[in-house]
Amino acid sequence: MAEDKTNLLEGLGEHSLSHWQKAWLRFRRHPFARWAGSILVILYLMALFADFIGPYPEAKSFRKLQFAPPTAIHFKTETGKLVRPYVCKVKRARNLQTFKLEFKQDCNKHYPIYFLVHGFPYKFLGFIPMDLHLFGGPWVMSGKAHIFLWGTDDFGRDLFSRIWFGGRISLTIGILASMVALLLGITLGGISGYFAGQEMHLIRGFLHFPSRSELASEGAAAFRRVFSESSLMRGWRNAVYEGQVSGYIVGLVFQYAFWILSIVVVVITMKGFLSISTGLELAVAILVFGGLLVYMFWALIFGELAVDIDELIMRSTEVLAAIPGLFLLIILSGMLAKYDLPSATRFMLVLSILAFVSWGGLARTVRGFVLQLREMDYAQAARALGAGDWRILFRHLLPGILGYLIIVVSLAMPGYILAESSLSFLGLGIQDPASSWGLLLSKAQQGGMTALRDRPWLLFFPGFFIFVSILAYNYLGDALRDALDPRAEQH
Amino acid sequence: MTAYIIRRFIHLIPTFLGATFLAFLIIQLAPGDFVTRLELDPSYNHQQIENLRHLFGLDQPFTVQYAKWLSGFLKGYLGISLSYQTDVWQVIKPRLLNSLVLVTLSILFIYVVSIPIGIYSALHQYSWGDRFWTTVAFIGLAIPNFFFALLMLYFALYLKDVFGHEIFPIGGMRSLYIAGLDFYSAPKWRQWLDILWHAVLPVIVSGTSGTAGLTRVMRTQMLETKMQDYVRTARAKGLPERVVIYKHILRNAIIPIIASIGFLLPDLFGGAGLVEVVMGWPGLTPLMLDALFSIDVYIIMGSIAISVVLLMIGNLLSDLLLAWVDPRIRYS
Repeated sequence: MAEDKTNLLEGLGEHSLSHWQKAWLRFRRHPFARWAGSILVILYLMALFADFIGPYPEAKSFRKLQFAPPTAIHFKTETGKLVRPYVCKVKRARNLQTFKLEFKQDCNKHYPIYFLVHGFPYKFLGFIPMDLHLFGGPWVMSGKAHIFLWGTDDFGRDLFSRIWFGGRISLTIGILASMVALLLGITLGGISGYFAGQEMHLIRGFLHFPSRSELASEGAAAFRRVFSESSLMRGWRNAVYEGQVSGYIVGLVFQYAFWILSIVVVVITMKGFLSISTGLELAVAILVFGGLLVYMFWALIFGELAVDIDELIMRSTEVLAAIPGLFLLIILSGMLAKYDLPSATRFMLVLSILAFVSWGGLARTVRGFVLQLREMDYAQAARALGAGDWRILFRHLLPGILGYLIIVVSLAMPGYILAESSLSFLGLGIQDPASSWGLLLSKAQQGGMTALRDRPWLLFFPGFFIFVSILAYNYLGDALRDALDPRAEQH
Repeated sequence: MTAYIIRRFIHLIPTFLGATFLAFLIIQLAPGDFVTRLELDPSYNHQQIENLRHLFGLDQPFTVQYAKWLSGFLKGYLGISLSYQTDVWQVIKPRLLNSLVLVTLSILFIYVVSIPIGIYSALHQYSWGDRFWTTVAFIGLAIPNFFFALLMLYFALYLKDVFGHEIFPIGGMRSLYIAGLDFYSAPKWRQWLDILWHAVLPVIVSGTSGTAGLTRVMRTQMLETKMQDYVRTARAKGLPERVVIYKHILRNAIIPIIASIGFLLPDLFGGAGLVEVVMGWPGLTPLMLDALFSIDVYIIMGSIAISVVLLMIGNLLSDLLLAWVDPRIRYS
């Protein structure tokens, strides 16, 4: 019996794989994907357990040990006997010949390093009180000796600890910013692509001025339709026909509010501008502003003005793209850096700035796909079944581009990490006492071009981590593209 | 074609207005204005500060300020720098030229290096040389240019320690003295040579990521073109391999590379900006940063407006260039 059963099942495609399973197989085949993935996992874990891994809290500073070099770890005593690794006390003193500050070891007393020791208290994951650290000793808390694996920064803070704390910001800001940018990009790009070709009214006039042909054929009778043929009434009839009266009224309120506000702004600008202009400038200004006002009033009464919402959104992305990215970033954060903000708010601010600067590209990508997909049969079928615009857009079209979105986001991630670290490097992003890799790197050049030579640890460690995380994300993005691109299936 | 160019130009106007208005709006986000800091200065009284505010038009609504700035810009006047106490154009012009030197040299560097490497990689696909350059390109794409710039400075300092004199300059754009003479009284060619010598490291740094990216594009393009039927036909006709590669493959593969100059420019502007800051190159970005700290509105606006115009022209030129090289592209 058992034999028959296996025979019956033979060849019934028990190995058929879903799209995502195939993608996972292709992903694993990429030579560096696994490496990149594991490096990123390790980095994120280290950042998560930063309090545990670093022997010192994020903001703990030793004023007398600024720019201390990495602490030497000894494995042998002076006599050459192998013992438990230990550190010596480090003191700062001024060299009387060169007048430079020098750090000297005092190895009279050994301070052995233990693993899993109690030290500075912290809150694990933000709410579990703990004081366990990966390494250290009783001397860490009392300050008899110090262990700075990677040296200290300008406030005498342990770079090793701060790297992991900084990783929290540097590694998460990219993910969060790309999520926000993605949300903006999907919404605006989706709207743009889906509603492309449909007009959105900015204003509807309430009177209809008969055209010349109407006047010629009907004479004065044409004026009888001065109300009924206005843009306002035509829109109303259309809304009644389609059963969207409430939407039409809300839209109308917004249109009039927008239009009246615009007129007020133009009038205020004109008044101010005319009061400080003379000569030719005055004449041109009167023409320009006067023309603008006349047109606006005319449109309010007789005309109508409609724009393609797709055109509007795409033009905004063009405007964003027209300013060089770095300039846009630095003026935004430079202006907002003038406010004295707590670290958490500043983090949100930098995040929003990154998202604001970058949603345009995403929106363009999404729009392109949606334009393609909305003509597909399944979108038409959904419409025929009576699905609304938003349902078609969010339930039928956007899932179709999920794979592409994953690729786009993973390829954009290095850009966010880079942008955050550039901003912090310039002193416009994350600020002390919080820590981020870009901020840590900025300390390397503090005090002139040649300061680099004296404290290379401030250059190499933060720089290395920015570099490695970007490299890993690049490889990951590459692998994901190979895995998720449907065109790859043919190979 | 002329109609197309004109249409493109008209298309640029709203973009320019939008971009400058956005920048102006962002500058208004900061608390206070340029004269706010004088309020702490006991030598100014309240009335004087108000007078200054009125003089600079800071008491007007910001749309008025923007309209005034725009009308000045159209007349070729960028306003007055509040901290330098002089015409903005006088402040920006030398900085802009310095930045353009860096950007132009970087573009040259990118094209001169990436095209040969891309060709080589494509012709020797999966060889060790190809793998080597692929790895280098990935590293070049991943290394943040401010970190790379710092590494280069470190390298220059190291060379100086080893050799006792500067093989590469430690930052800056000009030497104070050339062969005993003051920089500006030295012969012109020595001045340019000196600037070029200073530009070596900054150009390498700001060109690296562009080079890495373009190498990859060039390689893919060559590989794709290699598979085309007309290449097989060319080979079948018995054309020498050299002719097939350079006349049939390369000429078609290089088209998007030329077009990509438009995409390169904004990145290059930003990338070079950070390099300027790190390596002490007196370009536009360090000026902008200074102006940001003192809210010197018209310096910021001037720099942004000029770079927006330059970028738009760059994009337009690369589109036109593309239409000119590739007769298959028709604009209607």
